[in-house]
Order: sequence, then C-alpha cells, then structure tokens
Amino acid sequence: MDLLDFIDIVQTIADGVLFGATYAILGIGFTLIFGVMHKINLSYAAASIGAAYASLLILAGIKAPALLVFALAAVAGGVIGGIVYLVAFHFIPLANPLATLMSTVGLLLLIDEIIVHATAGVPLAYPALFSSVIVPAGPFNLRGDLMFVFGLGCVCMVLLLLLLYRTRLGLATRAVSQQPTAAQLCGIGLTRVNVLTFVVTGVLGGVAGAMTGAAIGMLSPLLSLPLTVKGLIVTVIGGLGSIPGAIIAGLLVGGLENLFQFFRGVSERDFYVMLLLFAFLVFRPGGMFAPDQGHD
Amino acid sequence: MLKRPAALIASLGVIAGLALASPASAQERTIKITGFGAKSGVVRVFGINSEAAMKAAAEEINKAGGVTLGDGTKAKITVEFLDDRCNAEEGISVIRRIASSDAFVAVGPTCSNVAESLFGILQKKVGDASDTGLQFPIIADVAAKGGLAKISEWAFRNVPSEFEMYKSLFAWVKAQHPELKTIYGGVEKDFAHSNATYGVIKAQAEANGLQVLGTSEWLLADTTFSTQVREMKRANADIVAISAHPFTTCGLLKEMQRQGVKPKLLIGLTSSSSIETLQGCAEQAEGIIIPTSFAPVTPAAIKAAEQVAKFGGSADLHSAAAYEIMFILKDVIEAQKIMAKPNTVAADREKMRAGLAALKETNGLLGKIGRTADREAIKPFLYVHALRGSWQVLYKPSS
Repeated sequence: MDLLDFIDIVQTIADGVLFGATYAILGIGFTLIFGVMHKINLSYAAASIGAAYASLLILAGIKAPALLVFALAAVAGGVIGGIVYLVAFHFIPLANPLATLMSTVGLLLLIDEIIVHATAGVPLAYPALFSSVIVPAGPFNLRGDLMFVFGLGCVCMVLLLLLLYRTRLGLATRAVSQQPTAAQLCGIGLTRVNVLTFVVTGVLGGVAGAMTGAAIGMLSPLLSLPLTVKGLIVTVIGGLGSIPGAIIAGLLVGGLENLFQFFRGVSERDFYVMLLLFAFLVFRPGGMFAPDQGHD
Repeated sequence: MLKRPAALIASLGVIAGLALASPASAQERTIKITGFGAKSGVVRVFGINSEAAMKAAAEEINKAGGVTLGDGTKAKITVEFLDDRCNAEEGISVIRRIASSDAFVAVGPTCSNVAESLFGILQKKVGDASDTGLQFPIIADVAAKGGLAKISEWAFRNVPSEFEMYKSLFAWVKAQHPELKTIYGGVEKDFAHSNATYGVIKAQAEANGLQVLGTSEWLLADTTFSTQVREMKRANADIVAISAHPFTTCGLLKEMQRQGVKPKLLIGLTSSSSIETLQGCAEQAEGIIIPTSFAPVTPAAIKAAEQVAKFGGSADLHSAAAYEIMFILKDVIEAQKIMAKPNTVAADREKMRAGLAALKETNGLLGKIGRTADREAIKPFLYVHALRGSWQVLYKPSS
C-alpha cells in the first residue's frame, strides 16, 4: 500500500463518517419510536424523504434560502410524523406487533407512491449550504456541506437529549418507554406522549431528509428504501432503543460502507454491511449499547 | 286530427333513420390504440411522456381526418395507456389483458427488463404451430437495450440503436479531437440499460483507439460518489464517459466538481439528455455530449414537442418514438386494410404484424427511419451538449 492508497482510505472513511450523520439521525428516529412504543416504524425514512420533498414543493417557484427549506422540511416532518401515528398506530391493535409492522410497510409504499405521483418520479435539485466549500486538512479534504450536515446532526442529537432528559415531555416519554402502565397510573397520557414522540421524531426525520438531500444535492424517490434499510441496520447495531448507540452506529456504518466499497467494489459493498448486521444479530443481538443478554 | 301528429312523428322517424344511416354517420368509428409502460414508481415520467406523445399524435391524426379502415370507413383514434410499473410480471399481465380485448396492436413498454420478458411470451416464429406463444404485435417505444426485437417475430421497436450512436460519436471524437488518447468510464451497475450501454461505449472507445484507463461503478440509488471520483481523478483520463441516468449522473458530476475533476471531454448516456439532468445539475453538466434521436430541430419535431407538452408530457428521444409510432401504425392500418371489428381481431393482428414486418422505411421527426430485417429501427440522430442550462445541437452526423 503506497501513501496515495493510505490517503485515499482515510479520505474514504472520513467522507463516509460525515455522511453517516444522516444515518445517525434516521437511526435515532427509529430507535426513539422503538424505545417508547416498542414498535418498528418502517415508514420513517420514506416520511423523512417525503418531508424534504414537501419543503421543496411548498416553496416551488420561490427562490427560498436553504435554511428556510430545511426548517420547512423539519415542520413538514413533524406533521407527517403525527399523520403516520394516526394512520399506522393509533387505530391498529398495538398488542399485535405484526399489525403495526405491516401498516408501516404499507405507509412506506404509500408515501413513496405519493412522492412519485407528485413529482413524476423526477429527481429534484435540493439546496445545500457550503456545497462549494472544501476544508483542507493536510492531504485530506473535508466537504463543507457534509461538515454542516454532521454539525447539524450533532446539534439535533444534543437537542433531543436535552428534550429527553431536561423537560417534562422527556420525563413522560422515558416513563412511558420504561413502564407504560405505571406512567398511565401517574396521570401521563399515553396517546399524547405517543403522538408527541412521533411529531418529535418526525421533525428529526425532516431534518434527516433535508440533510440527505443537501448532501447529495438532489432528492429522488429512489432514496426511501435504501435509507430505510440503513436506518434499521443502524438501529440494530447501535442497540434498539439506545440513542448514543444510534449516533455511533450511524457514523460507523457510513464509514464502513465507504471502506467496503473502496476495497471490494460497489457490487460487494452492501453484502459486507449486511454481514456486519448478521454478525451483530448473532453475537450481540442487543446491539453495541444494550446490555449483553446473550441468546438462546 | 290524430293522424297528423302520427304522420309527423313517422316522418321524423324516417328522417332520423335516414340520417343515422347516412355515410357520414356510418363512418364515425373509433379505434383504440393501447400503450403500456411505467406510470408508477421512479420511472413514472417515461410513462407520462409516452402517453402524452401517443395522445398528441392521435389528435394530429384525428384532426387530419383519422385513419381509413379496410372497409373504407374513417375512424378516429383514441389512446388508452396502462401501467406496468416497470415490472416484468406486471408487463406480462398487462399485455395478456390487452390481447384478450379487441386490440390488434400495442405500444410499449418502458423498461428493457419488461420488454425482454414479455417478448419472450410471444410466438417466436410466425406460423410455427408447435409454438403456443401469444400472437400479438407489440411495438416498443422506450425499452432501449440492444437487440430485443430478435426475441419474437411479433416484436418490433422504434428505438434508436445505441450501438450506431456511440459508434458514430467515438468516430467523431477521434476525428475532431485526435489529441485525446485516454478514457475513463463510470457506470450505474444495477440498471440494465446503463450497464448494456456502457459495454457499447467501452467497445466503441477502444475501437477508435482510446485507451480505457478504468471503470468506476455505482448503484442506481447510491448517494455518495467520493470513492468513485477519487479513482477517476487518479486515472486522469482525457475523456470521462458516464453511463447512468439523471439522478446518479448529477450526483457524480457534483462530486467531480468538488474534487476538481475536469476531463477534456465528457460523454453521457442517451437517457440523460433530458430536462431532469438540467433540473438537477445544469451547472455541473455544462459541456456534456450525448447522442440522441430527438431534438426540436425540424418543423415536425418542434410541432411534436409543442403538442406533447400540451398533453402534459415532455418530448425526448423516448416519447418522440411513441409519437412516431402512432403515425407508423396509421400507415400500416391503412396499407393492410385493417377492419378493426370484433370478428376480425385475429386476422387484423396478423395483418398488422405482416405490415410492420414489411416496412423498409418510415417517417420520423428528424427524417427517414430505416427498418432492419430483425424489426429494429435505424433512426437518424445527432449529438447534443449541455450549454448554459439547455440542450443544444452540437453536431448532426447525417448533415
């Protein structure tokens, strides 16, 4: 391995880790919903991309600043999150885990098709901040837009942690997550907490969708399925219900994905990512940040 | 007194009867041409454009009096367009549905994987009694993978030959830019059309003396291209050829701009000479050269583009083919004296197939279109390049 190869490898990992911030935000959304309701919301990534699309469509014809587009994506994400709860969870018997799983699969397809019908499936340019900025770091270059995505992702994560650990809503959310019956007996409204959890994760998803669009420079309905898979992988590797786990797993998956591609090419890249997932499922099913429970 | 109104009513009845039986009314027939393709999923835009093009052409034909059927009557054309979701099983199901109706021909599909599968269920050789395959003529407008019509004698295509286009383009590059010696390729590996066309691009580049320094690969839904562009940067080739559709073409071009990769010449995939590429990355696509079989450069092409836009579509090399097909079908219907009656369906289908197979040349929006013995089209084409946010004609090989 010569110096150029080494530089390429480090650069590849750095690019992947920075892009991994979008996976991390998605992973947090998945994990938060699982933490509170013990349900997987498979429509989460599609809703996130839907929110990013909504921000573009609402501002169609207006040359709005990128920050306004991102803010609108977050708001749209919150609204879509609330709708997802009502459609896929509120009226579905929660005792049957398969019912909500299937309803979210249905919503994933529905949201995807709504996007396709609204845009004819045509990719749309998405605004980015600092897209022309390249930060040199020795022999390496760091993309300004990805650093912004990374920074914003970190800010979102801190805000979420503050929300969970420093507010009454966070206290209620954690209470419902740990002991729903006891929380209800203490006067906490389950439905209210669930709706708010979906709205908060929706806002986060809107940011993730916007950041994904900003990082790529475009939005396409093609993104929903791969991001759903990535979000789930991040959630499993990080540990279902663990927010720090989702953050670290997101960055890890982003970096490893690029590394696998560097060494084994694009045809084998996803194979190794899946292998990593299976390795976790077999040897550490609770993920990185869950207590080691072993397996039967 | 009672007799008078009765006589009046009887007279009116006779007049109405005569009016209904008059030749003008008898000729008010309609025939339905069914198109099919992707109208959902990420390639929905292809279906929308094809449907708009078919309807635009039908309107033109109807305005000019319609189509003359075998019994001498005039018929107006209506268009129905069905969604196959770019899915082979759906495509087969759709074509079986069309074939179970009175339809005598169908136009489609969008995706090569669908065309490949559904041409496979057609009777391979006409008149082969041992082959129970579907005997129904289909003419494809979009599915672009090379050589698909060979699958069945009931299959026809009006799609450009990418082999001819890139053969001509690389010969032109060799003549115009003899100083360019090396090429680097990029391909969307998991898309049949991009992958097959990259094979053509690579072969033609080599045939014209260019040294292929390497190939980067990515997938249709990929979001980062930094590794691929770094490989490209290290190769430092004179020419970069990208065989990918607009979404990843733009992703790659943006990454090339970030990493400062500026080849002396940039070549793209036929399907990327569309408005989507310019909407997504006009700045980064500046200068990219793409061969295409459609550009609004002739009066007929300009008119067609306007008409297609009126029906909510966009005229490009794919939808223009659908537009041309409608006029081809009109000519064949008239030449073969298609009756378009429920009791002549099987005969009409055979006559349509024979008529399409007999064509040696048809009219196209850019000029005459040749027909090959294996039921493919030899379409005129030109090279366009992205210039200040629009596609401009760079060179017309036939001129």
